[in-house]
Amino acid sequence: MINLEFVINTLSLGSLYALLAVGLVLVYGILKLVNFAYGEYLMVAGYAIYLSAIVGAPWWATLIIAVAASMLVSFLTEIAAFRPVRTKSMDALLVTSFAVSIFLQNVVLLAVSPRARAVPLPDFFSKTVVIGGAVLPLRNLLIIATTAVVLALLSFLMKKTVLGMAMRAAADKFTTTRLMGVPANFVISAAFLISGFLAGVAGIFWVGRSGSVDPLTGAAPLLIAFIATVMGGMNSPIGAVVGGFVYGLLFNILSITLPASMISYRDAFMFAIVVLFLLFRPEGIIRRGYTEERVG
Amino acid sequence: MSIIQRSLEWARKHSTAVQLIVPLILVGVLVQMFGSSLLVNVYTFFCVSLMMVLGVQVFMGNSGILSFLHVGFVGVGAYASGILSTPPAVKAMGVPNMFQTLVDLQIPVLPAILLGGIVAAIIAAVISYPMMRLSDAVGVITLFATLIVFHVIMTQWDNVTNGPRTFFGVPEYTTLTVALVGALLMIVLAYWFRESSMGLRVRASRDDRHAAAATGINVVRARYAAFVLSALMAGLAGGVWAHFITSFSPKAFYMSEMFVLLSMVVIGGAGSISGAVIGTTVVTIAREVLRQVEASINNAHVLSFEVFGLTELVMAILMVAVLIWRPQGIIGGQELKLSRFKFKKKEEVSNV
Amino acid sequence: MTTPMLKVDDIHASYGAVRALHGISLEVNEGEVVALLGINGAGKSTTLKSITGVLRPTSGSVTFLGEDITSRSPEKIVKRGISLVPEGREIFGALTVEENLRLGAFASYHRDRYKADLKEMFELFPILEERFHQPGGLLSGGEQQMLAIARALMAHPKLLMLDEPSLGLSPAITDDVFALITSLRERGLTILLVEQNAERALEVVDKAYLLANGLVEVSGTADDIKKKVDIASVYLGGEDAEGGEVQL
Repeated sequence: MINLEFVINTLSLGSLYALLAVGLVLVYGILKLVNFAYGEYLMVAGYAIYLSAIVGAPWWATLIIAVAASMLVSFLTEIAAFRPVRTKSMDALLVTSFAVSIFLQNVVLLAVSPRARAVPLPDFFSKTVVIGGAVLPLRNLLIIATTAVVLALLSFLMKKTVLGMAMRAAADKFTTTRLMGVPANFVISAAFLISGFLAGVAGIFWVGRSGSVDPLTGAAPLLIAFIATVMGGMNSPIGAVVGGFVYGLLFNILSITLPASMISYRDAFMFAIVVLFLLFRPEGIIRRGYTEERVG
Repeated sequence: MSIIQRSLEWARKHSTAVQLIVPLILVGVLVQMFGSSLLVNVYTFFCVSLMMVLGVQVFMGNSGILSFLHVGFVGVGAYASGILSTPPAVKAMGVPNMFQTLVDLQIPVLPAILLGGIVAAIIAAVISYPMMRLSDAVGVITLFATLIVFHVIMTQWDNVTNGPRTFFGVPEYTTLTVALVGALLMIVLAYWFRESSMGLRVRASRDDRHAAAATGINVVRARYAAFVLSALMAGLAGGVWAHFITSFSPKAFYMSEMFVLLSMVVIGGAGSISGAVIGTTVVTIAREVLRQVEASINNAHVLSFEVFGLTELVMAILMVAVLIWRPQGIIGGQELKLSRFKFKKKEEVSNV
Repeated sequence: MTTPMLKVDDIHASYGAVRALHGISLEVNEGEVVALLGINGAGKSTTLKSITGVLRPTSGSVTFLGEDITSRSPEKIVKRGISLVPEGREIFGALTVEENLRLGAFASYHRDRYKADLKEMFELFPILEERFHQPGGLLSGGEQQMLAIARALMAHPKLLMLDEPSLGLSPAITDDVFALITSLRERGLTILLVEQNAERALEVVDKAYLLANGLVEVSGTADDIKKKVDIASVYLGGEDAEGGEVQL
């Protein structure tokens, strides 16, 4: 059962989930906001691909537009909605993100259509390759490679640049970071832009799997990102990556081991396992001694 | 005279509950006597929503933990009450895969609603104790994940719920009077819990859970009590709702409905019962107006396409606006209170 | 007399419904070392928070170098030249000593002088060179205090504010901290010091303000204060002050 195909599939699923989770946790780290609108950033990437295909953009431009659209929407939601309620209660921030999510869903519902739209992707997305006797979708290998590159870049950014230092400091002690002269709005905007970037990249692969996008496309990836981050540990990107891969592994194991009659309950099992896990270890897999200070 | 005095005394002591109950009854009577059938419907639906919102508020308002799960308990109450009271012939036809024992069951509506609430409370009692240890983001997400478990079970367990398909034929029972009585009952329950010693302990833990624990309060147990009671209330509300709407599917107990409930709780102010009532009022009126606008746009055929989602869109904007303007909700976590009753009001008050 | 470097004029501030400051006024001249004294809850830290913009005063004004900085954001105020060493040190635990210092320099970073600044900090605090690549969270309390001060100095402040720098430190390290304040003073740095240990503070400052219940009770030169106020009284005794009533 543990063959190359299983390993590659798990790695690619885990990579996708890790990307999703890191994007969510970057914002959580600084604002302590569980961003319910995060899934909609992926949805926006999907619609960007759909629209640029209509105008006939080349595939590389399409991909850039998709990521840029996610980043832009992420950035705009921060400015318009999150910034004014930032200093208010945690519940206000959470409910705001919920409202932003509903807002974005209904914008595309009104502006495009409630029905799913086909998303054309470059041919190489649907090609398969044969490695060691296993037939693998090229897409899965691409996810792994892309994730590796993106995470390496992110790690460089967080460790080696002053912006990264400021973001890590802000995730730890927000007010003190401002006392160093780091503008609050600047780090928060940066976090939303990076979060949008990761959502955009993940969004390309997400809609690439189903080949279509609809107003509710964001719901499933949001849930995965939630669960992966809480499992991994909400306070560090490393935890999110670990959580993403663990989630991917768990998903594939359940897919193989559950009897056919129970397979439709897979999600219920997944979430039940996660809830059980959290009951015993609320801090997640990776513990960090961060304080729970909120942005003030 | 002494009865009047005693009721006055009682009313003064419980001015919050009185102030919420009296106008609800008055408006109910007025709507019943003079309102159009649409207005009666809207008010009935308002009362049912209020039941749900108060169910959410009892947990969220007192414990300070945002719960996405409660709409799931509404669903449990709705399905339980629907299954228990729907005639076997209807179920045999409508839910082809239902367990035979469930098909054969039929009890009157009122006990069915009560049992629905109890089933929701039992489920809450079984699953929630360990969850009450969690706070903040982890707590929110755990409750959220549990809602998804509920949803998957509702959509997949077609021996009970008819799966993702509509469950129909639930006997109609909920009139304006039933809904109003239900809502008043919920206010009394919510108020009673809030003022009880357990309620006081939960609220202490909301303000500072470490300090509360340090004074000997068992925070987990206090939250647990609030959670089970609120699940009972949400389940009862679900039953009343089911007998109003008569057909539904699992979609009715998921994110977008939870958004509506949350917006009612948050817009009014999650911290108080008065906030729940005011939030429900504001959101119900806003939604009705928006729905009328949406319908008239679509009926006028001035646009070449159907307008979908306008109501939700505007609601979302309104909600963010309220949160920016008043993050603690319209009434800011305080209960309505009259410091003293004027003599003139004596009659009205003593009638309660 | 010239205009003061920092002028706090009748500020009121509150945390939600709880009012903490009822009209504090104080002045710090260039080159002076000034202490804010008082028991817990007197309003010392709240005053510093209002100066740095962490807390918005409800009324009153803060003027720094002739410019009104009331209710400016903390990041803007630090760029004007006020650095705070916060109470409890507030080291970024997951960041290395190096990264902590780099962020300290954020407000006034110049590539040319950064290396020299670091070298200066190593001279002042040799321990920081030893621990340069370690996470700040692994340092001892005294080392963290040194790091916090160095981090604030990296911004080249015109006014350095220290909030309870001796809190929770051993007597030996407390001595080090006060020795450091003296040497910074000799270099001409303007300092506003918040301290519970009044006796020690009065040894190193020019002037002091005694706060109680959000108001300035007494102010004057260090010698004045020593004369006006019975240091042996419950209040100024440091440790004995816990819960004691203000007797002036």
